[in-house]
Amino acid sequence: MRSYPSEGNLRRAIAFLAALGIGIATYIAIEAAGGDAPRCLAGSTGCATVAKSSYSHVAGVNIAVFGIIGYALLLASAFFANDLARFGGFVVVLGGFGYSVFLTYVEIFKIEAICQWCVGSAVLMTILFALNAIRLTGYAGAEAGPLPDRA
Amino acid sequence: MSERGRRTQLLQLAAGAVFLAVAVVLVLIVINASSSGDGGDTKIEGAAEVNQQLAGIPQRGMVLGDPAAPVELVEFADLQCPFCKAFAEEILPSIIENQVKNGEAKIAFHNFTIIGEQSLPAGAAALAAGAQGRGWNYVELFYRNQGTEDSGYADDAFLKAVAKGAGVKNISRWKKQRAEFTAEVEETTEEAQQLGFDGTPSFAIKGPNTDGLEPLGTPDSAGDLESAIEEAR
Repeated sequence: MRSYPSEGNLRRAIAFLAALGIGIATYIAIEAAGGDAPRCLAGSTGCATVAKSSYSHVAGVNIAVFGIIGYALLLASAFFANDLARFGGFVVVLGGFGYSVFLTYVEIFKIEAICQWCVGSAVLMTILFALNAIRLTGYAGAEAGPLPDRA
Repeated sequence: MSERGRRTQLLQLAAGAVFLAVAVVLVLIVINASSSGDGGDTKIEGAAEVNQQLAGIPQRGMVLGDPAAPVELVEFADLQCPFCKAFAEEILPSIIENQVKNGEAKIAFHNFTIIGEQSLPAGAAALAAGAQGRGWNYVELFYRNQGTEDSGYADDAFLKAVAKGAGVKNISRWKKQRAEFTAEVEETTEEAQQLGFDGTPSFAIKGPNTDGLEPLGTPDSAGDLESAIEEAR
């Protein structure tokens, strides 16, 4: 286990990135609730195109709402150093990462537009997936550790 | 259970979850690669009739008819509106046949979105088709395939299928331009409200004998529209 970063550092990094993700998903959800699309940088219209596509909703719910829930669960998982949090965090990030892969495919090949905020979220999910995978493989089965601020 | 046993069990579960996730993502991609998103499974009817109706009439943007025609009739309509569909099928054909084809008048289609949230992307889709000279084909074909009012039928797949049916050649460019035209749809909707319109379709007219763009409201018949065009000349 010595080759792994400390679980405290992993949990702090996961908490920080999950908080960033909540910010991005909340921004997209607020814009969508107001009938707008998130603003892309440099005048790109990709965000509006993706936001107005049928892929922006699942069962009538904007996917940003699912993003908020997913990131919030990841944030919560960082506050506990036990197997439930390690495995639960991994399963949640696996779902988020998988959906990010699908959405990126859809943006490139179906909608033919790139939403910079979605790309940002996909990058966060990718890093979070790596961190949670390292956390699970490195610390699964270990005794409960200290909270992040005391690690 | 020992720490090692618990660890082994968790990692086995994680491996299973990864396998399941990969399978789900692959299935989603395969399903989407062959279905709705590209509009391929949305059946559009009436393209040949629309092509025949509009054949030989110049189109520039959303204006149908000779650009030098003395009278401009401006239609404010919502593509999801059933009255606009009825008007397009029962009243406008005679105007197009008698006064647009002979160069007396041209008709501009302006979006006036009042039905529902899909009216905005639908209107922008028509304008993006107009950028490729197929705006009126798009509008006419949309009406011919119009679904139940604001039922959610006008999704991306439907809009794309209409674009293909309307003869939009560069679908990729049409897709990209749709978002750019959203602002114009909102502008013409405001224009309609400023003219005092509160329903669709509403018409306004501009010609040598009008004081700028004059609101007509919703004419009762093709005869009323023809008279308005004659008076504006």
